[in-house]
Amino acid sequence: MTSTQAPLTGAIAARIDNGAKIYGEGDTEVRALDGVSAQFESGRFTAIMGPSGSGKSTLLHCVAGLDVLSNGKVFIGDIELGSLNDKDLTLLRREKVGFVFQAFNLIPTLTARENVLLPLLIAGDDHDEQWFEQVVGILGIDDRLSHRPSELSGGQQQRVAAARALVSRPAIVFADEPSGNLDSKSAAELLDFMRRAVKEFGQTIVMVTHDPVAASYADRVVFLEDGKIVDELLDPTPDSVLDRMRQFGA
Amino acid sequence: MIRTALKTVFAHKLRLALTALSVMIGVAFIAGTFIFTDTIDQTFNDLFDDLFEGQDVIVQGETEFDVGFSGPPPMDADVLDAVLAVPGVEAAEGSVGGMAIIYDLEGEAIVPTGPPTIGGSMTEDLRLAGNVDLRDGRTPEGSSEVAIDARTAEDNNIAVGDVVKVQTPTEVAEYEVTAIIGFGESDNLAGATFAGFELATAQRLFELEGQYSSIVVIGEEGTNPDLLRSSIATVLPEGVEAVTAADESAAQSEALSESLGFLQTALLVFALVAVFVASFIIQNTFRIIVRQRQKELALMRAVGATGGQVVWMVVIEAIVVGLVASVLGIAFGFVIAQGLTSVMAAIGFDLPSTTAPLATRTIIVGVAVGLGVTVAAAVLPAVRASRIPPVAALQDVDVRLRMSDRRRTIIGSVVLVAGVALILNGLFGDILDLGPLNELTAIGVGALMVFLAVSMLSSLIVKPFARFLGWPLPSVDNLTGTLAVENSVRKPRRTATTASALMIGLALVAFFFILGDSIKASAGAAIEEGLRADYVVSVTGFSGGFSPALGEELAASDEFDAVTSLRFGFWDRDGSDEFLMGIDTETVDRTIFLGVTQGSVAALGEGGVMVHEDTMSDAGWVLGDTVPMGFATSGLQQVPIVGEYTENGIVSANFLVGLDFYEENFEGFGTDVDFVLAAKAADGVALEDSRAAIEAAAVDYPNVEVRDQAEYRQSQEDQVNQLLVMFNALLILAVIIAVFGIANTLALSIFERTREIGLLRAVGMSRRQTKRMIRWEAIIVAIIGAALGIVVGLFFGIVVTAAMGAQGIDVLSIPSVQIFGLIIFGAVAGLLAAMLPARRAAKLNILEAIAYE
Ligand SMILES: Nc1ncnc2c1ncn2[C@@H]1O[C@H](COP(=O)(O)OP(=O)(O)OP(=O)(O)O)[C@@H](O)[C@H]1O
Ligand SMILES: [Mg+2]
Repeated sequence: MTSTQAPLTGAIAARIDNGAKIYGEGDTEVRALDGVSAQFESGRFTAIMGPSGSGKSTLLHCVAGLDVLSNGKVFIGDIELGSLNDKDLTLLRREKVGFVFQAFNLIPTLTARENVLLPLLIAGDDHDEQWFEQVVGILGIDDRLSHRPSELSGGQQQRVAAARALVSRPAIVFADEPSGNLDSKSAAELLDFMRRAVKEFGQTIVMVTHDPVAASYADRVVFLEDGKIVDELLDPTPDSVLDRMRQFGA
Repeated sequence: MIRTALKTVFAHKLRLALTALSVMIGVAFIAGTFIFTDTIDQTFNDLFDDLFEGQDVIVQGETEFDVGFSGPPPMDADVLDAVLAVPGVEAAEGSVGGMAIIYDLEGEAIVPTGPPTIGGSMTEDLRLAGNVDLRDGRTPEGSSEVAIDARTAEDNNIAVGDVVKVQTPTEVAEYEVTAIIGFGESDNLAGATFAGFELATAQRLFELEGQYSSIVVIGEEGTNPDLLRSSIATVLPEGVEAVTAADESAAQSEALSESLGFLQTALLVFALVAVFVASFIIQNTFRIIVRQRQKELALMRAVGATGGQVVWMVVIEAIVVGLVASVLGIAFGFVIAQGLTSVMAAIGFDLPSTTAPLATRTIIVGVAVGLGVTVAAAVLPAVRASRIPPVAALQDVDVRLRMSDRRRTIIGSVVLVAGVALILNGLFGDILDLGPLNELTAIGVGALMVFLAVSMLSSLIVKPFARFLGWPLPSVDNLTGTLAVENSVRKPRRTATTASALMIGLALVAFFFILGDSIKASAGAAIEEGLRADYVVSVTGFSGGFSPALGEELAASDEFDAVTSLRFGFWDRDGSDEFLMGIDTETVDRTIFLGVTQGSVAALGEGGVMVHEDTMSDAGWVLGDTVPMGFATSGLQQVPIVGEYTENGIVSANFLVGLDFYEENFEGFGTDVDFVLAAKAADGVALEDSRAAIEAAAVDYPNVEVRDQAEYRQSQEDQVNQLLVMFNALLILAVIIAVFGIANTLALSIFERTREIGLLRAVGMSRRQTKRMIRWEAIIVAIIGAALGIVVGLFFGIVVTAAMGAQGIDVLSIPSVQIFGLIIFGAVAGLLAAMLPARRAAKLNILEAIAYE
């Protein structure tokens, strides 16, 4: 197996220290995150699981710099996000972070190719054509590049989104239920690609999912409940994940 | 149902406000016009009521037709004795009036730009003075005392006891001010300056010795004015009539209102343009609203609402918007009226600051237009909404409810052809007889149809057009440029409608630019070819004319070879006003080129009328035919046509008569003054000398302006420019509405694209880039509007100019710099329109945008 980017074993791509996120006040107060500490190592694929409302999306948004913590600290590499203003946060997202959302990942007016290159186009940067071709080739969308999103299937759309998340070689990719809207075959293809990106190219990925099968593609699963990390599992299989989930009544 | 509809309306206050705003401006313009003209009407009504206050009967020279402001011809002074002898007459006095210019204490003439400079006799018996009251001092007596109006006194720091110069048709002389007079509440007569003299002095100054312009009569206590009038009428000689003061007051104020009717019509036309533009905005807004609520409406259908109920839901929203906008618009109309009053004041018409009460007509028209236009514009989107099938609620796809491009093309083309045909027919006539539809209406309706058609058809070209405009963008502004271009063509009809709203205003601006430039070019050519004189002396403002003595003095001087006087006069042509110029036939050949094609100027000197060739052919006249011409003094005359000419650029009239003929028919009518002098310097006289001579002679005539050829040409251009500024200022409102339209459409589109913008921001688009993207989009839409406007404006300008050959506009000139400037103007308008929406888009909370369903 050849890797273009060797994983820096032990290096931390992102981490959250004692993070809390509180919505509302008094009676309506919701602690979406309640003292969460976690580290996401470079070159690893981490899944976040937990019951609905447990704070998975909130955690993802806060670590990715889309939202700010009420308390605690978030680092991407060695940059502390709390010290950044909006402009710097935007730049950080553009350069260091990739995203795949559950739905509505693509700009309808742009072609698949432009959507893949979106972060680079926004930055006005040149792209590495070889890397681009490699990514779209693996994802099997190389013959769809001139199409608009409305002309692509849901699975193809998510693969374009995944390609976009990788093409700028971000330090870390966040995915919030990327396979949530896909049938099992499309989901498997997407997840398989994500795992290859981690194994072959040393990409770091953090993915929120409800699906034990999806989680089994990861190297590690972190379980969240009521805004707290309650457990974690290394080298998960669908069964071991299901077991844990039953344990927590999720 | 109603409650659901109302809830949605108020849930979207911003949308309501922006939509209502565009309608509101239009309604405010209409209401403002009415309030403004009502105020003028009321002012003049009050003014005349006051002027004739306490008077019962007026005796004056009879006129053949209504001569408006030039006043009736004078009568012999002994008529007064006959009137005084009529039983029931308590008191009566004769009076005279004419032109009088007051000078300030520094010796500068006080000449208001608009209103006239009036002089007249003061009555001895104060009961006969109407509302004229002495604010200070005493009635002037003898030949060297004068009373002046309070406003003139105040503005120029003139007080009782000061000595001022006053110019009258006979002389410029010094008078001691013995009285400051007011007119009831007013300090002057609608801006006019007034100098009052003792009767005998006034008669001498106005060359009316032994004559009166009118006689004012009051009856004994308890006399019925109508009966008194009849008894006075029996003793009057022929050519003199008696009218009750009430009738005369009404007639005079009506004459004034009528002359302002034109102003009202013109303002209303501009107001309607604004409303028309607003209707585009409303239609667009409702179309977007229906689209955004497609799911919701489909759900309502699914749970049992009928199509009719869905239509109602949308229409109710339109009714609320229309009502709110109309009411606010009418209220805002007072501000517009105040603005118009200030504009009038700025150009010299002093109107009292009181405002007329809101007339029922203003409310009815305002609400009818505001509500009508809003509801009418919303009906189409509403009907489309009712066609949303209930299954749409369950599907994720957009239901396409729009007209097919094919149908659009066909309908658009038909409307376009019909509109163009109407315009051409209105302009050039005789292709098709439209019966009761008059030409101007035909042109107006045709223009509306052209606008509608272009708006319909333009959605077909929006895509290639926007891409064409946008092709350099990506290289300037990589991704945001591409996105802006693509966003602008996403909903071609939406973009087309938004752009069309801007098109209308800018098309009219372009049209006025072309027409104005053509008029200037034509006038320039006419001056170049037609003006042989070196100097043109003309009267300033509306002060009527100046004494023929100036022309005589110049003609007698060595510096001048020929001096031609031109005199202006109204006459009655089959019941409508026409005007003519009396010209000095002996000198005209040397000063003005007339292009006589039949007959001769010499023949005109003997009598008869010379007619412009286009008028000849339009009326089907030939040389030797007689024209029935009605004159105020001499009545109906059968006047033979003794010549035909082609060049009306300098004389600016289609009928010319000799000065003898003029004097016969306008005798004693206040119009026997020169209107224009064309003076040609004698051979061998240096320019400085002739100039010095003419300036020196003109010094005594404060209301004349001396111009050489270049200056004359400049003054003609200035006049056109002034009109252009006025028209374009009025069109600004239509453009502002269109800018609101762009802003509103953008805001709604951004709302639709919330998720997309959220995504762009999430993957690293900065706020600045987001703003730029929205701005580029607005600029593209605005430039499309400007370009369409220029195309339509060019068409209007070219055909209208072509149709105006008979009015002396025979050169087509297209001011390319100004026209091109409209594109830049459009881009700036787009930038302005994008300001708020861009800020909103940039402020979008990324998380909410991503979570937005
Ligand atoms: N903007 C907000 N305002 C108030 N409360 C919020 C907000 N966003 C999230 N919450 C609350 O925070 C908690 C965590 O929400 P979060 O979206 O992170 O859950 P989740 O684990 O992603 O759930 P799901 O699996 O359903 O997506 C929930 O109780 C939610 O109601
Ligand atoms: Mg979630």
